[in-house]
Amino acid sequence: MSPKSTGQSAKLYWRSLDELADTPEFRAFVEKEFPAHAEEMLSGASRRSFLKIMGASIALGGMTACRWPQEKIFPFAYRDPGRVPGVPEQYATAMELSGVARGLLVTSYDGRPIKIEGNPRHPESLGAADALSQASILELYDPDRSKMVRVREDGEVLNRTWDDFEAFATGHFGGVKGSGGAGLYVLAEASSSPTLQDLRARLSVAFPQMIWLEYEPLSRDNERAGASQIFGKPLRSHLHLDKAAVTVSLEADILMTHPAAVKHARGFAQGRRADDGTMNRLYVVESAMSVTGSMADLRFALASADVPLVAAQIAAELFASATESSLPTAEIRTAIEKHASSGPKHAFVASMAADLERHRGRGLVVAGDRQPPHVHAIVHFINALLGNTGTTITYTAGTDPVRPSHLDDARTLARDLKEDKVGTLLILGGNPAYTLPADVSFANLLAKVPTSIHLSLYDDETSGLCRWHLPRAHYLESWGDARAYDGTITLTQPLIEPLYGGRTEIELLASILGEPVTKGYDLVRRTFAQAGDADFEKRWRRALHDGFVADSGFPVDPAAPDAAATLAALAGAALAPRPSAGSLELVFTQDHSVYDGRFANNGWLQELPDPITKLTWDNALLIAQPTAQAAGIAHGDIVQIQSKGATIEAPAYVMPGQAKDSVAIALGYGRARAGRVGSGPGFNASALRTTGAMDVASGVRLVKTGRVYKLATTQDHHAIDAVGYKERGIRIQSLVRQATLAEYKETPGFVEERAETPPVFSLWKEHEYEGQKWAMAIDLSVCTGCSACVVACQAENNIPVVGKDLVARGREMHWIRVDRYFSGEPEAPDVSFQPVACQQCENAPCEQVCPVGATQHSHEGLNDMVYNRCIGTRYCSNNCPYKVRRFNWFNNHKDTSPIEKMVYNPEVTVRSRGVMEKCTFCIQRISAVRIAAKNERRPIHDGEITPACAQTCPTQAIVFGDLNDPNSRVRKLHEHKRSYAMLGELNVKPRTKYLAKLRNPAENHRENDG
Amino acid sequence: MSTALIDNTYKDPAVRPTLVLGGQDFTSITEKVCGIVEAPKPPRIWYICLAVAAGLTGVLFAMVGYLIVTGVGVWGLNIPVGWAFDITNFVFWVGIGHAGTLISAILFLFRQKWRTSINRSAEAMTIFAVVCAGLFPAIHVGRVWLLYWVFPVPNQMSLWPNFRSPLLWDVFAVSTYMTVSLMFWFMGMIPDIATLRDRATTRVRRIVYGLLSLGWRGSNRQWHRYERAYLMLAALATPLVLSVHSVVSFDFAVSQVPGWHTTIFPPYFVAGAIFSGMAMVVTLLVPARQLFGLKEFITLHHLNNMNKLVLATGSMVGFAYGIEFFISWYSGNPFERFAFMNRALGPYWWAYWIMVICNVFVPQVFWSKKARTNLWIMTIVCILVNVGMWFERFVIIVTSLSRDYLPSSWGYFKPTWVDILTMAGSFGLFLTLFLLFLRYLPMIAMAEIKSVMPQAGLEHGAHAGHGQYWGEIPHQHEHQFDELNGVKR
Repeated sequence: MSPKSTGQSAKLYWRSLDELADTPEFRAFVEKEFPAHAEEMLSGASRRSFLKIMGASIALGGMTACRWPQEKIFPFAYRDPGRVPGVPEQYATAMELSGVARGLLVTSYDGRPIKIEGNPRHPESLGAADALSQASILELYDPDRSKMVRVREDGEVLNRTWDDFEAFATGHFGGVKGSGGAGLYVLAEASSSPTLQDLRARLSVAFPQMIWLEYEPLSRDNERAGASQIFGKPLRSHLHLDKAAVTVSLEADILMTHPAAVKHARGFAQGRRADDGTMNRLYVVESAMSVTGSMADLRFALASADVPLVAAQIAAELFASATESSLPTAEIRTAIEKHASSGPKHAFVASMAADLERHRGRGLVVAGDRQPPHVHAIVHFINALLGNTGTTITYTAGTDPVRPSHLDDARTLARDLKEDKVGTLLILGGNPAYTLPADVSFANLLAKVPTSIHLSLYDDETSGLCRWHLPRAHYLESWGDARAYDGTITLTQPLIEPLYGGRTEIELLASILGEPVTKGYDLVRRTFAQAGDADFEKRWRRALHDGFVADSGFPVDPAAPDAAATLAALAGAALAPRPSAGSLELVFTQDHSVYDGRFANNGWLQELPDPITKLTWDNALLIAQPTAQAAGIAHGDIVQIQSKGATIEAPAYVMPGQAKDSVAIALGYGRARAGRVGSGPGFNASALRTTGAMDVASGVRLVKTGRVYKLATTQDHHAIDAVGYKERGIRIQSLVRQATLAEYKETPGFVEERAETPPVFSLWKEHEYEGQKWAMAIDLSVCTGCSACVVACQAENNIPVVGKDLVARGREMHWIRVDRYFSGEPEAPDVSFQPVACQQCENAPCEQVCPVGATQHSHEGLNDMVYNRCIGTRYCSNNCPYKVRRFNWFNNHKDTSPIEKMVYNPEVTVRSRGVMEKCTFCIQRISAVRIAAKNERRPIHDGEITPACAQTCPTQAIVFGDLNDPNSRVRKLHEHKRSYAMLGELNVKPRTKYLAKLRNPAENHRENDG
Repeated sequence: MSTALIDNTYKDPAVRPTLVLGGQDFTSITEKVCGIVEAPKPPRIWYICLAVAAGLTGVLFAMVGYLIVTGVGVWGLNIPVGWAFDITNFVFWVGIGHAGTLISAILFLFRQKWRTSINRSAEAMTIFAVVCAGLFPAIHVGRVWLLYWVFPVPNQMSLWPNFRSPLLWDVFAVSTYMTVSLMFWFMGMIPDIATLRDRATTRVRRIVYGLLSLGWRGSNRQWHRYERAYLMLAALATPLVLSVHSVVSFDFAVSQVPGWHTTIFPPYFVAGAIFSGMAMVVTLLVPARQLFGLKEFITLHHLNNMNKLVLATGSMVGFAYGIEFFISWYSGNPFERFAFMNRALGPYWWAYWIMVICNVFVPQVFWSKKARTNLWIMTIVCILVNVGMWFERFVIIVTSLSRDYLPSSWGYFKPTWVDILTMAGSFGLFLTLFLLFLRYLPMIAMAEIKSVMPQAGLEHGAHAGHGQYWGEIPHQHEHQFDELNGVKR
């Protein structure tokens, strides 16, 4: 890939930066040669030494500085009024992911963004942010990001500047314009940016024959198509889980991977606390266990291909009880009943339908992205039938109502590439060479395109095949705009100048168009001004401050099903069950860490345990125990997955609750050119994806290879023996106390019965805590296990990434972990999540045993860790019953480059080698508020202090506060009937209390789930 | 010397066995013991052993260096298993270090005269074992360079160590034990070193032994002071034999890890320590007596007695294992109960059963006198006991930690090559020191052993400051009257 000579000279430069820094040769060299090959040159590095290599980026950061754009966001020549150096500031911005903006609030220290949180005012965020958004800050400082414009000529990769590209673009696009844009194809990621849409419109005026294609590997087009079928327009559905008493999810992961998951989770949690004696109920029918499935009161594992049948059967079941007036036409009923009877009747359907029927107008049925469009149509139909539309589900228009589906665009692209119609392919973001289905064979076709241009954050698989590669600016370096899931226009404002000289897609398009303004800031303002000039500056400032334009969401559409369209859709749908019962299907799932592969180079996310499997640094083939047994496959065996002539290998992960005839694998792994972190981990499942089977591939064969793979999980590192298995089952009952709603009503104090607690008393008078007495309460009823808290903590507290090998050896560093326990039958397990951070015991066993007193009790009852004093005996960790302490086995920060260090929170010590560390309840946040309150001579208000985990929790399961304040939320929760201290019988007096988990299965479900 | 050695292991309660065989007299003893040190060349096998041991010591230093440069992560530790080979080795070596002081102090106070043949080497072994033991807590910490913080060193910040921490108690217990043992050993050696000095033929020897003998002239006054001091040191060391391992056991007993939090630990650890120490003495002395021709001093009678102690303490340990299980069931504490079920049947079952077989079943062969007096059998049994006692500490530490309260945090410890080489290296260090001791210091307490010989004439009782050392031992020379009494041998 890289010419050897350049590679070597690059190496020379890198090693001798100091000597060379001032020579003219060196300057010329840097201009021309250097950064492009840094990655290739260093790609041979081992995983553990990649940090060391990041030292290269010192040079990169420094040397590229001379090419940084001159626009200044924060001139520090004089101090802004009201700005205090060293005091963090927060700015609202947005991250767009697959066309949906997430409203964020970014904390910045002296112009250096360090932490991402949800924007509390944003209607779709409500203050919470998912793991992906939060971890994107690490991407900003990733030294592997692309830093250079590059061109491939005659098999050689040459470095260019943006000026070079602009010179080329003027000539090239001038020519294209001459031919009316014939042969110009733009392949874009989904985007809801009004500015981008504006530029796209301008582009189609300038290049009338241009073809704009949009592709997302994790597309939600099935839902869109389903809505089109039934409503005649691609409406977007909005779920109001706070209003739903009964929710039936047909493979819809509404609490985790849905773009509005954060908001859903908040609404769902509202109905789970049962303080008024009522609770919502969640039914989930799905193949692979999702986070939503793990929260279900009743979950039915069913192959993906069998789920449509359930939709039809629910609808058919409802006809029996529907009132005359609400009944659909006889034709539709016949069509649905025909579908419903095309397969075996599922016993649980009746109780599900009855429950929906009982909760007319308060029920909700929702289908997942993997389900074909007609299932969505049926679901919309059911919701309308039950009068749920308008209350638990509303509809609005989406962005770009006329576009073809992503899949159609992929097919168009493949066809036109084959027919050599593509003269210029402009790829705006995305990584189609990796994400397009295998049968497009994009990599081969791309080589035929005379001019291909790729704008991308990383020099990735696609960049390696394109003629031009352009570095893209990170969203934290960019001006932009996008619409949130509800349509709210959300602004992206930069927190820092582009570190590596990247540009955004709107800037690129404007420059190709030769627009008078090409700066992102001007472009966004120009779009913004289109809404009217009245009060422009005021509106703009308001929007910038809030991060979004208030009330700019899409208007609600009444969305009445169109009978004829429905019938047509149903008639056209093939609802027949899978060809043979024994046939195995492969389900492609969205990974919780790397998304579609774009976050593969993000260490925080790679090391974030999957909420369900607790797997890090890998994906795996999820397989049910009986299926595995029948095929002779054991956990960790490498299996060959054969589907339609293509084959990949992946390790098997025997998964409780996985549907029997279905195996699942997450997309986004096995990247070849992701960077030092992301190239390697996992197995590329998109090699099995075809345009005909984007979500589910049927007729898959599994062949054992006889090799075994080491999977690094943070829980259950090893297969468990009989003794341990039995004991674990017994212990879970007292550790994660839970009851059904009925049991709770009958015995409100059930938590006391779940564990035998001997009378605990103290031999001496206990310490009285005057002033503040910090404590935490975690409601297990609403914890969805989403793990956003883990990333929040990692970002807030400078927690290092240790790599797969050390995770496998039980050395992960997370201060908060989410324990996941299965109980019940392995085929239909109950899942419980329990976030565990330091419990800040009043009677802390760790404090007692430290020979040097490095862990001490504060006057506010916190268990403080004095890093300076710690000599690392690890006795405290041994004596911690919760095992929340983490040890720095090596110097985890030794080789971190200055650019990487920019992400560190300056308020938190970076721990050295040989030192123990653990959760502090975010003592830096407590101190900041304490100081502010003291200066203002006022008490600290309840809710004023939120540790990072509590701040980001989408369901507000974690509550922090002062136990001495009789009105604090945490005090009320500690006194709650459901609250209990985990391992309270040890008399360690933990300051964290858990609220027992409640489930709400139907009273008669045992008889009904057959 | 060529006379066939008589069997002095017979059991006749009326008759004291002869402790030195082969018709030795004072001169021949001095010649024999000093001869080992003064011989121009030690046996060839000594060189081979030293080469191996010193090689292993080199490995130890390399491993420790690697550890200090890289981090504790080079070992196989994890969360939850924060201690494994490090503290296992520590407790193991401290345990080994128990035999010496037991033999020299407790047996001295109990007037066990047979101790005189073995006390010197047993005490030396104690010192070397404690050296090995002290190494592990020192290097197991994350920041070795700050280790001195565990000592109550006055400092500008008035920071004291945490006196509630059992690890701190360990620091005091082990350092006290080391100090007293070293003093005891060295003081006991002074008259013998003086003998070596007096016989020295080279200048180096004269100077070194001269310095070490602290001006010993063998005057009555010196002997008198010496014997008093010896008695007092013995009295001082005796409680230490019990306290050191009790305190070491507090590391575990005071914590709240199921499987550690047990009141039986102090006596159980002390019994185990004596058990392993005695086994190590036998393991080392059997080859040493063969090698240096000391069969007449370290007789089968001595070994027989040692093996009886091994049997007794081994049975105590076995009893403790049983009681642990009983209490874990009887306490009704489910965590405790699981900790023990898990030991025997969990992922570390193999370690547990190695421990039980080696420590409980194997020593039972010592019920038979044949086994107690057969060199091969006793060596094998004692080596197995050492293996078993190492595993006992491993089982206590690792199985308890690997599965404590929260099943989500259960883990499994696997040693790395660094773990294994460090452990092997500690044996190298121990053997190196012991081999050097055998060659350069009198391995048998000449002055003391002479006092238990008939020629000492101590049956006449103490007089003029002589003989106080042993107190009254009038029956020492009963066998002189055997013929008169018609006793046949």
